[in-house]
This record gives sequence, C-alpha cells and structure tokens, in this order.
Amino acid sequence: MRLLRFVARRLLLLVPVLLGVVVVTFLLVRVLPGDPIRTILGPNATEADAAAARARYGLDQPLWRQFVDYLRGLGTGDLGRSIQSGGSVTSELALRVGPTLELVVLALAVALVVATVLGIWSARRAHRIGDHSIRVLALAGNSLPDFWLGLVLILVGYSVLGWFPAPSGRVDPDTHLTPVTGADLLDAVLTGNGPAFGSALGYLALPVATLSIVIVAPLLRSVRASALEVLRSEAYTAAAAHGLPDRLLRRGYLVRAALSRLPALAALVFGFGIGSTVLVEYVFSWQGFGQWALRGLLFRDYPVVQASVLVIAAGYVLVFLVADVVHAMLDPRVRI
Amino acid sequence: MAAPGPGAGGGRRFATGLIVSGSVVLALAVLAAALAPLLSQWGPTEIDPAGTLAPPGGDHLLGTDVNGMDVWSRVLHAARVDLGIVVAAVALAVLFGSALGLVAGYLGGWLDDLLMRLLDIFQAFPMFIMALVVAALLGGGTINLVIVIALVNAPAYARLVRAEARSVRELPFVEASVTSGSGTLAVLWRHVLPNSLTPVRVIAPLNCGWAMLTLAGLSFLGLGVPVPTAEWGAMISLGASDVVAGRWWTSVPPGLFLLASVLGFSLLGEGLQERAATGGPASSGVGR
Repeated sequence: MRLLRFVARRLLLLVPVLLGVVVVTFLLVRVLPGDPIRTILGPNATEADAAAARARYGLDQPLWRQFVDYLRGLGTGDLGRSIQSGGSVTSELALRVGPTLELVVLALAVALVVATVLGIWSARRAHRIGDHSIRVLALAGNSLPDFWLGLVLILVGYSVLGWFPAPSGRVDPDTHLTPVTGADLLDAVLTGNGPAFGSALGYLALPVATLSIVIVAPLLRSVRASALEVLRSEAYTAAAAHGLPDRLLRRGYLVRAALSRLPALAALVFGFGIGSTVLVEYVFSWQGFGQWALRGLLFRDYPVVQASVLVIAAGYVLVFLVADVVHAMLDPRVRI
Repeated sequence: MAAPGPGAGGGRRFATGLIVSGSVVLALAVLAAALAPLLSQWGPTEIDPAGTLAPPGGDHLLGTDVNGMDVWSRVLHAARVDLGIVVAAVALAVLFGSALGLVAGYLGGWLDDLLMRLLDIFQAFPMFIMALVVAALLGGGTINLVIVIALVNAPAYARLVRAEARSVRELPFVEASVTSGSGTLAVLWRHVLPNSLTPVRVIAPLNCGWAMLTLAGLSFLGLGVPVPTAEWGAMISLGASDVVAGRWWTSVPPGLFLLASVLGFSLLGEGLQERAATGGPASSGVGR
C-alpha cells in the first residue's frame, strides 16, 4: 500500500518535468535554424509549393495555436504526422521501440550478470593481481568508443570469420517472422518460429556484445565496492568465524547486500545505453528507435523530434522510478 | 567508514600505478599532436593522386582512405583537433558549471530552486542524447562542438560544487569572514570557491575521457568537425563502409588512437578517485 502511494506521488512529480520537456522541445526545434519543409521539397520548389506544404502540416498557424493543437493531440495519444514520410508518428514509433528495447534490455541483462559475478570475485581478491586486472579491463571496456567496437566486431565476426550475419536488418526475411511486438526474439517465441529465433539471435549477438562491453564497467565497480563493504563488515566476519559454509555465506550474506546499490546505477546505465544505441543501431543498420529519431532530428521533422525526445525523457525517468522500487525490495532498510 | 583493510597499501600502490600509466599515455598523445607534421611526410588533407584505399606499406605507413589521404598523417593530426576541443570544452564546463553551482549553493533561496528545477529538466535525458539534440539543432563546426560538449557536462559540475558550497557555507571561517564585513563576492572568491573545488579535480579527467567519446560519436554521425578535417570519429565514420569489405586500415587505427587517449584519461581519473578514497570503499562514481 505504501509502495503504491509512493509510486503515485512520484508519477505526479513527473508531470511538471515532462511538461517542461514538452515546452522546451517544442520551442527549441522551431526557434533554431533549419526548415523541414525546404528539406523535403528540395531546391527546385517554388514559394507557393512551400506555402502549400506548410499549410498541410499546420506550420502556417501562429505558434501558440500549433502548441495547443500539439497538446490536444498528446492528450489523445496522437503525436502528429511525420513531415518526411507523411505517416502517423504514433504508429511509426510503435514499430521502432520494440527492436531498440530488445537490444538495450538484453545488453543490460548481460552486463548485470557479468558485473555481479566478476565484481564479487574481484572483491574477494581485493588488491591482488586478479582484482587489478579485472578493474583495468573494465576500465578499458568503458573507454572503448561503442561505434568503433561495433565495427571491429563486424570486421572480425563477419568479414574475417563469417560467423555472424551481415550488419543489416534484425532477422533473416526468409524465416517469415510475423511481427507482434517488434522485438524479433520475443516475436519468434510468441509465434513459435524456431528458425526465426535462431536467426534473430545471430543478428543480436554482435550489437548486444558491443553495448554490454561498454556499459559493464560502472556496474562492476559498484558491485565490487559494495561487496568489499560487506566483506569488511562485522556481521560478515562473525558469520565467517562461526564457520558457516562458503555457499551460505555467499548466498545469504554477500550477493543480496552487494546488489542493493545496483538498481539506481543500472537506471543511469540504461540511459547511457539508450544514448549508445543511436550509434550502435547506425553501425548495425538496426532500423530501430535510435535511427528513426536521428533521421527525424537531422531533417528537422518537428513531430518526430518532439515525440522521440518526449519518449526518451519519459522512459528515462520511469526507469529511475522502477529502480527505486527495486532498491526498496532489495534493501529492507529503505523507507519509501 | 570501514577501517582500512589489510590490502590498503596495495590499493594505494595500484592508484599510483593508474595515475602514472594514465599520465604516460596522455603525454604520448600530446607528443603525437605536437610532432604530427614531423612524424608524417604527407599533410593531413593532402591527396595522393597515385591511389585511394591503398593498403598499408610503401609510401603510406597505414595506407590511404577512400579520398586518397594518408591515414597515418591524419591519425596524428587528429590528436590536435580531439585533444584541443575536449580540453577547451571541459574547461568551459568547469568554469560555467562551478560558477552556477557556487552562487546557487552559497546564496540558496529561489535562485537555487530555479536552477535545480532547470537542471532536472536538462538531466531528464541521457547525456549523449542531449548532446546529439543540441548539436543537431545548433549545427556542426569546431566552436559549436566545444559549446555543446561544455553545455552537457556543466550540470554535473553545478551539482557537485553546489553541494560542496552548501556545506562550506556553514563552516566557521566563512562565518568569521562574513561577520568581519567582507562582501559576498570576496567571501565566494577567497573562501567558498577554493574549498568547493576538491571533487571537481577528481572528476574532470574522467569527464575528459567521456567528452572525447561524445565528440567522436557526434563526428561519427556527421555532426562534428567540417569534412576534410582530420578527427578520429570522422575518420572512423569514413572508414565504416570499408569494414564490410574487410579493409581494416581506414577505421581501426583512428579507433585505437581514440581508445588510447580516452583510456589515458580514465586511468588518470580512476587513479585519482582511488587515491581520494584511500583504503575506504571506492566512491561509486559513474563513468561517462
């Protein structure tokens, strides 16, 4: 019950922040130089053509009128029409979010598992050679340019070894996968399509590896630091002195306590992952949300820019909310 | 805080090792930037009419790119552009962010509230996304890149310095200075500022590494320096299409140089953080 009240209060607090994001994006995209109409019409369009196109997208209206229309649309889930494609932004968005979420969530999951295992292993050998090498390796991973790592993995995994599919698309079209959620792996499971599942897995391997390598370092550092605190605590020393078996020590004392600080950080890293996918999707021609938003941004497609910025902001703050709830569940001392 | 464990001495040595190795890598990068014209016989944008996409060896140590420009020369000259932009941007971010944080933290009140709400909106985005949006709207070019990167990094400094300034404000020597009649500006400059900058010194090097990745990422997407300029991210972008054909020399070398420089900053930053935390639990600083 208290948890529900906490969630409700936090959701209410989000409203002013998101409203701020809506206003700022709306103004910024219109005030700064660049004209979507000129971009889609090309250099040969006459002034009359441009005026007609402008009227078609309601851009001839006064600014306050456009804003009111936009807000009214938001209320009903209508995000407007894309200036480039003429399609509904809401339905384009629905197609694009699934593949990107699949990428980021899988990468985060892999990174969390690796960080937990290596972080605890590292903490138990604190300040010895194994610990130091893992920390330097994680630092190196964190210093890798994600887009370049993707290219190197393509070079090795596709061009040289030929183990992975070419970096274009997300699933072999010959497997006739029926899209349900847009996340191909999930769709393959839902429709019971075995070949598509294998193909999607092959396409996912390199981009997921790229993302998890670059995000694992901060998670690893946090697990190691928390685990060190536990290992040096009196409770743990006493339990170990009483001769509890190693397994119990690890399961009952170390792992849960070492993970309690992870959720908030994982939320931050999730945000970093979203930023990274723009580059990683570009490298692997993933055709997900990141590429869609980038193209919208480059062409000044106002509705697309507004929608993608709002989705990212909303998603990011929601993930932080989820992280706080998970933290409260992991650590009984937290009062929310 | 936990008592320093038995391995604290090892931790300290490890910190020193990190700082030294980071500094050496960075010194090499600076050297490459300074001596670029001496180390390469081709100019960074000079086109060899004899061939494009020539493999390494012969006239070109690392081959040529699709435009027939020497990769080795470009990789060296790019160090000037990348290091220059990053150092300028982070310096600007520290200056701007610290000033905001200092005033907000020391004065408090509605100004502080306003600033924090603005930062909330600003930080409702992942940093790279923010950089991407601002860079796309502002347009490319060296000056704009410095502004964009400074802008997205400044909020972190504002928060850090604000928190420090709020606690320094309550210390006896500040109170003494105020009661003895010093003006607000004098107190800020002489007492609050120097004592609020400690965390900044530790974070700035890590931040430089992150800023360099942002810069390269923006350039990779075509939002960076103008086209023929040698810059690591832009070079990787140009070489990206060669990778599928198995041509490695146009994109791997600039990436390695980029990685080495970022790693230099990271090693230095991590070492400073480890030293600051001597023996105790490492502060959970978030990379990038």
